[in-house]
Amino acid sequence: MDRQLDEAPCGFLMLSDNGNILSVNRTLLELLGFDRYDLINKHMNQLLTKPSRIFCQLYFFPLIRHENKIEEMHFSLQKKGGEEIPALIFANRHKKEGVFVIECVLVPMHQRLEFESEILKARNIAAAALKEAAETNKELEKVLCELQAKQKELIKLNKQKEQYQERIKRELDLAKNIQGISLSTPFSNEEISISAYYQSSNELSGDMYSFYQISPGKYGFIILDVMGHGISSALISMSLRSLFQLLIMKGATAEEIMAELDTQLHLLFRNGDGIKHYCTAIFLTIDTNTKEIEYINAGHPPALWIGRDTEITEFKSTIPPIGIFEDLTFRKSSFAYQEGGRLFLYTDGVTEAISANTLNLLVKEQEPIHAIKEKIVHFLKLDEEIGIKVDDRCFLLIEV
Amino acid sequence: MGQHPKITHRNNVKVSGNGSKTMIFAHGFGCDQNMWRWTASAFEQDYQVVLFDYVGSGKSDISQYDQEKYESLHGYVQDVLDICDELQLEDAIFVGHSVSSIIGLLASLERPQCFSNLIMIGPSPCYLNKPPYYGGFEEEELHGLIDLLDKNYIGWAKGFAAMVMANEDQPSLAEELMISICSTDPVIARQFAIATFFSDYRQELAKASVPSLIIQCSDDVVAPKAVGEYMHQNMRDSLIRVIDAAGHCPHLSHPDQTVELMREYLGTLD
Repeated sequence: MDRQLDEAPCGFLMLSDNGNILSVNRTLLELLGFDRYDLINKHMNQLLTKPSRIFCQLYFFPLIRHENKIEEMHFSLQKKGGEEIPALIFANRHKKEGVFVIECVLVPMHQRLEFESEILKARNIAAAALKEAAETNKELEKVLCELQAKQKELIKLNKQKEQYQERIKRELDLAKNIQGISLSTPFSNEEISISAYYQSSNELSGDMYSFYQISPGKYGFIILDVMGHGISSALISMSLRSLFQLLIMKGATAEEIMAELDTQLHLLFRNGDGIKHYCTAIFLTIDTNTKEIEYINAGHPPALWIGRDTEITEFKSTIPPIGIFEDLTFRKSSFAYQEGGRLFLYTDGVTEAISANTLNLLVKEQEPIHAIKEKIVHFLKLDEEIGIKVDDRCFLLIEV
Repeated sequence: MGQHPKITHRNNVKVSGNGSKTMIFAHGFGCDQNMWRWTASAFEQDYQVVLFDYVGSGKSDISQYDQEKYESLHGYVQDVLDICDELQLEDAIFVGHSVSSIIGLLASLERPQCFSNLIMIGPSPCYLNKPPYYGGFEEEELHGLIDLLDKNYIGWAKGFAAMVMANEDQPSLAEELMISICSTDPVIARQFAIATFFSDYRQELAKASVPSLIIQCSDDVVAPKAVGEYMHQNMRDSLIRVIDAAGHCPHLSHPDQTVELMREYLGTLD
């Protein structure tokens, strides 16, 4: 071997095609701590760590045989004492004096290997992170899928709800119609003239009025307002109305009628778990023969009597609303009137919309009662237009 | 092309030669069908010769690689069985190098009618030492090998590029070199290495129902002679022939001797 190659700053090996060592330079011998005679004609495996031996069998020898050239392959050499030296190998395979030989240059690479190890470590971390991200993404996609399914379901449910609401609205409209129909129809004769107005807040009303001719010349009236609006209030007012009709036909007295209505309310909520609906009401009879009005006002806004001289008399409440206290005693009051006056009965929805003063002026007007009714309704409509939330409203105007 | 071009394409299956009997050659770890270039052609005159690449190797369809499927050798066994189905092979001679010897054995256990004989070159049922069994390697040594695989793939890619440059005047040769042996995807190679070197199929040997020839190099660090002997002792109807050579790839380093041993064995059949 020429001196330059022998002392070159890298290891040099010449191998037979089988991997036997044919020659080795001094640099490599010194690096590995072997003597030349330890290695000549021995297999290259002598210089390798065990993993590198397999690696060479799997890659170095097949590759060099196919390609006749290897660049930058990395494996580990092993010193005589066993210490490992990572190295880069470059190799050529060519024919020399008729047989194939493999010439290898070996460069130790301690520091570069550390650097590579770091890179590999980073690569593995990145790969793990990527895998995790992919898994998270998969998880997210799953959640998204579920969400979309939920949304679809919600849309379906919402549609069902809309259909349901539509149905409920139809039912309520029907109930409202029934409620309207069940009210007494105003009438007029030579003794008395009745005009009525009724408007529920939105759906069903807790207000109710009814009147009845008890006997020739004697008429009974009731106006009541069940606390709240809506279905429950409407049902209660309807049940009270039925009871009233029954009682008045049987010829019950004012005291009996009010006491029965009161009892009915208590009965309705006997098992109501503390839920109570109370009701304000006026029951009133007009006897055109004796020119006498008898009434009981339970917590209701006062009825107004407007005499021919436009003087107003209020029939004020003397007892609390019915449905609150048990064992209330009802006592009727009487009022003797002169012909040519009129009576105004209303629920609080009317006085919430129109002030008491205005109302007093309106009912005093020297006009037929249907004209006065129109004026009051006009004021109520005005209030409805500006009002955010309106109460149930009804009133009766009676002329005798 | 057959009726199932998918498998033919997936495994880059190449069929050549004449003969009523088929020889199917299965490459070992880290390589592809090119490793048979000096041996398979010797049988083309008398046999139908089938070459292929496992999914993830050589010119196989890498998109078909499924990490879960190829986590153990059974994924590769399925590759072999798929090819047998597509080509409708019966009584074929399976030639496997290294880990493919075991893949062939597992395939023959699953589908005995497909194979008449196995030829195993440098086989090992278990690379790890599990005393009293001697496989040749301690666990950390195998980890060292995986580590070397990790640290080498960049270098090879460069080497290939340089070789293509060197053969510019012969483009067809350059192209062939590009797809030459060992051009396996590094991630796949790593998984294949783990599936190969950490496996233990010793229990399967006794189940062998197909006669076999074991070709063993006298000095093989990957599959030592003692391992070849172990295979021979534990497999019914097995023969062992030793080539006096160092290395793990006698079909590359000693193709003539390898072909001769195979011919001799095949001659005793019929």
